[in-house]
Amino acid sequence: MAEVYVIGVGMTRFGKHPDQDSTQLGVTAIRAAIRDAGLDPRRIQAAYCGHVFQGMVTGQRILAQIGLAGLPLANVENACSSGATAIREAYLAIKAGEYDVVLAVGTEHMTTRFKGALTPDPGDIEAAVGLTMPAVYGMRAVRYLADHGVRWEQFAAIPVKNKKNAALNPFSQFQQPVTREAVLSSRPIADPLRLLDCAPVSDGAAAVILAGGQTARSLAGARGIRLAASALRTGEVPVAPGSMSFEPLTAATALDAYERAGIAPADVGFAEVHDCFTIAEALRVEGLGLFEPGSYPAAVERGRG
Amino acid sequence: VSPPEAQTITETQSTRTRATQADAGSGAVPFRPGVLDLGTAGGPSLAGSRCPGCGAHFFPARHVCSGCLTEDLDLVPLSRTGTIYTFTVVRQSTPDFTAPYLLGYVDLPEGVRVLGLLVGLGEGKATIGMTVTLATQPKGTDADGCEIVGYCFRPAEPLGGDDG
Repeated sequence: MAEVYVIGVGMTRFGKHPDQDSTQLGVTAIRAAIRDAGLDPRRIQAAYCGHVFQGMVTGQRILAQIGLAGLPLANVENACSSGATAIREAYLAIKAGEYDVVLAVGTEHMTTRFKGALTPDPGDIEAAVGLTMPAVYGMRAVRYLADHGVRWEQFAAIPVKNKKNAALNPFSQFQQPVTREAVLSSRPIADPLRLLDCAPVSDGAAAVILAGGQTARSLAGARGIRLAASALRTGEVPVAPGSMSFEPLTAATALDAYERAGIAPADVGFAEVHDCFTIAEALRVEGLGLFEPGSYPAAVERGRG
Repeated sequence: VSPPEAQTITETQSTRTRATQADAGSGAVPFRPGVLDLGTAGGPSLAGSRCPGCGAHFFPARHVCSGCLTEDLDLVPLSRTGTIYTFTVVRQSTPDFTAPYLLGYVDLPEGVRVLGLLVGLGEGKATIGMTVTLATQPKGTDADGCEIVGYCFRPAEPLGGDDG
């Protein structure tokens, strides 16, 4: 089967963009990705657009703005994984041999759609009972602390690390480092989570262009980055309720990816992980097998996160 | 936009649903159809489903067992008493709810975990493993003037102090 490479990437800065909508943000990201790839945009054969809240035919609106209307396109929604799922669809399309150069874009304009905490879909009973996304993770944090004998103050090292990294990233929303004291005294959101434990509401977009091996070598030379594996699973409805301080779903999905890539967790030298809340980062890296369950907060405190 | 006929049918079904679910005595309706049974003997109960094949329980009720794929599960009232699995104090919410409020997952003996408001507990008094019992609380009135009733959990044993 075909090898797949990332040959171009682009993104907008994340933050509040009241003067742009999700279409304009998507256009900016795609144009940057095309420039990065050094690609004639007419070589793009198909596109996938990941978003959650932007309404019907978001991807079509974007393609119309950049002269690529008419391409086969699918909009994909998978909550926080929508963008990653768009990339996966592009990857699978190339692997299947159907296309050679495929675009994936994710775009979201959240500041115009949310006031306060994000909630589940209004049709879910949990939303009617008062659940917010920070509450989900607040409850996981309470259980994690109890199950692993960890002190909440140890988690403060996570936003300190992340904001330090963000200060080096021209595309990040907040580019100022924060202190441990600032984290622990920020506004409470859903106990024990405070403001600096929570992802902000952001507007932004990112795009990648994927290509099959031969095309990638001719276009990007050695710059192309091989996409070694993509794995996707969805949450189950368990017959018996399970632990909320470890994520079997993350572990199973990671195992799929490791097996396909032919590597083990110990081979991973760098990880960029979804960190919607600080507790989520701990649950994800432990589920990924990069740290033992319950060990991450102490590791981050020691500077090993 | 639905044609007028379709709207009429929807309204009729909606009215019938309310009529069958309304508590005969109080005229109260559950906040959501099929979730809360206000008419069971001994107090309100959550309406769950039980798999006749493997005995697994689910809440909210489901059509197919996720364990053994048996179809047409039985509707059953769930136990009213359970234990807190975890909890949080929500301090920033949506305009539909007034923060702060205490929210928790409660494990029922049937092996079902239910999310609900925890009431009658002062801040800092919820603990993992605490025994709580199902209760109802008003959530306003509907267009017909019926009281809308939601569910919550409160401590099974009265707490010390003045905030129980």
